[in-house]
Amino acid sequence: MNNQTRTNQVLLLASLAFLALAAGFHFNLWGRPAPRPDIPLVDPMFTSNTTWRTSYAELIRAKADLSDFDCYACHERHKPPPMHFDTNNILIVPKEHSDIVMHHGTHNRNNLCFNCHDENNLELFQTRDGRQLKLSESTPLCGSCHGPTYRDWEAGAHGRTSGYWNRDLGPITRLDCVSCHNPHSPKNFSRPPAPGPHPLRPVRTIAAEHHNPV
Amino acid sequence: MSCNCNSNKPGCCHSSEQGVSRRNFLRTSAVLASGLAALAASLSPLMEMEDVPSAEKFLQKYYKELTPEEMAKVLKRIENEVERQYGIRPHVRDLKPMDGVEFVYCLNLTRCIGCRKCVHACVKENNQSRNPEIQYIRVLKMPHGTFDMEKGDHNYAPESVPEKGFFYMPVQCQQCKNPPCVKVCPVHATWTDSDGITVIDYDWCIGCRYCEAACPYWARHFNFTKPNIPKDKLNPEMAYLGNRPRRQGVMEKCHFCVQRTRAGKYPACLEVCPVGARKFGNILDPNSEVSYILRTKRVFMQLKEELGTSPRFFYYFDV
Amino acid sequence: MTQAIRNYCLFLWRCARIAFVGDWRYYAWMGALSVLCLLGLNAYCKQFAHGLIVTGMSDEVSWGVYIANFTFLVGVAAAAVMLVIPVYIYNNHELHDLVIFGELLAVAAILMCLAFVTVDLGRPDRFWHLIPGLGQFNFPASMLSWDVVVLNGYLLLNVHICGYLLYCRYRNRKPAKWFYIPFVFIAIVWAVSIHTVTAFLYVGLGGRPFWNSSIVGPRFLASAFTAGPALIILAMQVVRRVTASPPGVDVAGVALDGAVPASLVHFEMLERHLPEMASVPAELRSEILAGATVLEGNAGDVVCRQGESSDEAYFVLQGRVVIKREESGRFRITRSSGPGEQFGEISGLAGTPRVASAIVEEPSLILRLNAESMRKLMKPAPMNRIIHSRMTERLMITDRALMTLRGIVQVSMLINVFLLVNEIFKEFYTRTAHVASSHYLLLGLHGHHALVPWIWTAIAFNLIAMFLLVLPVSRSLKYLNVACVLAIVGIWIEKGMGLVIPGFIPTPLGAISEYSPSLNETLVCLGIWAFGLLCYTIFLRMAVPILQGRLSHANEQALYPAQAPVAEPAMAKT
Repeated sequence: MNNQTRTNQVLLLASLAFLALAAGFHFNLWGRPAPRPDIPLVDPMFTSNTTWRTSYAELIRAKADLSDFDCYACHERHKPPPMHFDTNNILIVPKEHSDIVMHHGTHNRNNLCFNCHDENNLELFQTRDGRQLKLSESTPLCGSCHGPTYRDWEAGAHGRTSGYWNRDLGPITRLDCVSCHNPHSPKNFSRPPAPGPHPLRPVRTIAAEHHNPV
Repeated sequence: MSCNCNSNKPGCCHSSEQGVSRRNFLRTSAVLASGLAALAASLSPLMEMEDVPSAEKFLQKYYKELTPEEMAKVLKRIENEVERQYGIRPHVRDLKPMDGVEFVYCLNLTRCIGCRKCVHACVKENNQSRNPEIQYIRVLKMPHGTFDMEKGDHNYAPESVPEKGFFYMPVQCQQCKNPPCVKVCPVHATWTDSDGITVIDYDWCIGCRYCEAACPYWARHFNFTKPNIPKDKLNPEMAYLGNRPRRQGVMEKCHFCVQRTRAGKYPACLEVCPVGARKFGNILDPNSEVSYILRTKRVFMQLKEELGTSPRFFYYFDV
Repeated sequence: MTQAIRNYCLFLWRCARIAFVGDWRYYAWMGALSVLCLLGLNAYCKQFAHGLIVTGMSDEVSWGVYIANFTFLVGVAAAAVMLVIPVYIYNNHELHDLVIFGELLAVAAILMCLAFVTVDLGRPDRFWHLIPGLGQFNFPASMLSWDVVVLNGYLLLNVHICGYLLYCRYRNRKPAKWFYIPFVFIAIVWAVSIHTVTAFLYVGLGGRPFWNSSIVGPRFLASAFTAGPALIILAMQVVRRVTASPPGVDVAGVALDGAVPASLVHFEMLERHLPEMASVPAELRSEILAGATVLEGNAGDVVCRQGESSDEAYFVLQGRVVIKREESGRFRITRSSGPGEQFGEISGLAGTPRVASAIVEEPSLILRLNAESMRKLMKPAPMNRIIHSRMTERLMITDRALMTLRGIVQVSMLINVFLLVNEIFKEFYTRTAHVASSHYLLLGLHGHHALVPWIWTAIAFNLIAMFLLVLPVSRSLKYLNVACVLAIVGIWIEKGMGLVIPGFIPTPLGAISEYSPSLNETLVCLGIWAFGLLCYTIFLRMAVPILQGRLSHANEQALYPAQAPVAEPAMAKT
């Protein structure tokens, strides 16, 4: 008797529990995946293959406005422009060329315009061994000093490449030194970095905590 | 009902047998019905499934067992699916490794400035999910004087890079010669091809994530949910083992851009690198850049060399 | 042949039927488990639809509480062998009755293991890629493929052994040794292999120094042989309690007396239920008759009492007699004997005090033989064999058996703690770069210490359990139970979350991402545990009456246990 009633009670309770569950499931009361925080799409500049600079050769190829390179619009032909130095014997860049930051090499050894430019013909370069090169052929000029780097560049180990690694299937695109390097300040590559990772769950690195404690 | 039934001997409880059995029947039906209702309702989340595998997808054969005709059909199906989902007709190819080619990657730690452009070019090229985010390349900011990766910072966000006193080390799939991930996969869903690229058959992976646990380079990434790629960001030039859109619950990783490299091109991360720190090529060709680098550069290393994974990814310094 | 199949189907049908019958406690227990199962199923459906994103896992910590539970349960399954070895190799009779319960626990544990692995898969719809022949099975290279083989093999082995032994008991047959003993020995080796293989799953990963340690395998075995038998100790007490009746009630009946001398007719009655009687020749029968009497009893009459000394053995000719044994203040039904079955023969032959009381359950006719007649009856080889084989057919979970298990748990726990100390010494004394994971687990790493309270709880539990087990105090069941619960919880933490999670922290690239299971993930785990307990309860519900002799082929109406008087309504109709 007692057992019978107990069983009835238990089974009734079980039925009610099942019905409550069914309702809970139906209305999806718990365990819904939380909405994910928005991740902004990355700025296209970070996925662009374009170089930071455009070399003279590329400007010619692109048929761009080359008036900036018309030296003798201001300078006088056959008259080497004078150079002025401050008391520390550092070249004073004339205000007409204020966009140029002279920072090629250490100890100011290379901060002379006519280490590269031909003072007699500003539309040409001249190498240390006296050869004259067109403005669009600057790479051998760089190579005349930076031998090992030039060798690496020739082998494809220095500098950017694109196109085909398999030359049978297509060409490789090489760039001139000045496509990346500013000849007057070749080592400055400082750029804003692209956004960091957005992990699924919070992640910290040990270094991050050491250096920028949160 | 006063009888204490100790057994169901016939005749016991005969006085109210009918009433009891009717009540018992009702009782059972109530429990059964409510139980079934709860069971049915518990399955309701399945209705929210967006990507119900068709019989065709469910039964799709293993990559290596597909005949050329079957592969053609599968590629067509994938193109249709992608078009339906993204509104762009992709060009999906099954690219095989070339003879006499073994790929090697060299990364110049002297040059790398940590700009993370490779990370995002890779995402764009390889149709990785944008949210949740999957990236094949992780760039570590390391203090000078150590290779202890625990000292590396993954989340650096200064105004500009490079920062003084640090170098940057991008890590991606090292395409090991002795890959732990391939060894542990229970279903052969990942393997190393003759050109040295370890690929994944996304339609064969069961998502056990054993390879992810096995990889010492944290190169493998899992689709914890349906990948999410904006329609206008889809790269339509695709390969079966490469950058075709993945599905929920499968593993993916860097495959040296097979859709590009097996067609003779450079990988996307290399082309975007603004400082030319990334070098890629055929190690079997003595005139390739990578052959030149491994021949002439004196300092190079394989990450976690002590594990014997023998990566095809070399880090070097040249100054 | 068809008859055999029909009988087997009938067996399955009756087993299935009995699973739906019980008293209110049984229904309440099963109802609660079903509710949890449904909660788990619903949570899993959400995971199936949305992906593993609804769990707490990530690329950084790519395995979580699913694999942790899997690892623990493989150990529980493997531990069943610790009951089998003493019985089959060292002939320990105390544990004999527990073997089937241990193996059923192994079956339930393996079912849970398989469920935990399945819910951990990103694409469970592709499970068929794992089936050799149909899919691509990376055997023997992948340790996971080994695990698939050994787990399923172990499941089959145990299902076969349990199923066969239970069916034989149901048919009242002596099991053919060649049909199960070889499998028992295979299962012994196999049990070690399932846990070793599971350890190798971790050990084989060179990129995870926390796991890549050769001591993990032995540690797994030691902890398994602690937690498994501890779980069996607890489960067996539950079985004992559920099959018990209040003390004193049953033996209150009138002692049965008024025996009349037996006649040859009674031997013929016995022969009807015991065909082996045919081997007893007529002259021997008359000799036996000298020491034979017949008792007629009604429900509640007591045939013999526990503790009495007597040299008599009994055969049921008609009706049913239940054998109850008092221990720890409760009565347990150890056997229910029907027509043709003997009782009281062990103490009768040895002249020792009775280990149990025999009470008439329904009006019965009982043949009583004195020791001399009994020995004569056992002279013919077939009779000797059948009577001997039936001597072991009873369900007796004795305190001594539990104490034997205590010995196993005791030694295993000592080894387990010792191996843990070894591991901790190696990590913290050398302090290589690889200490990071252990540091995270035990002390926290750079302000991250989610696991620290857990692991110290586990270590404290393990140590308390160890001391309790080593001290004589755990000879009392109360303290033994406390020790078992502490050991199980401690090991569950230590080799579950405590082993799986630190392996991922820090990541191979040195990042730290902590893991905690999500609500959904927890519900799935609860659901699977409930499913496993549901399976084990059903297995016990079937096995106990079979072992007691209540559910047998001969016993046409499967009797429900005395404390479960309710007839299943749906079944009552059929």
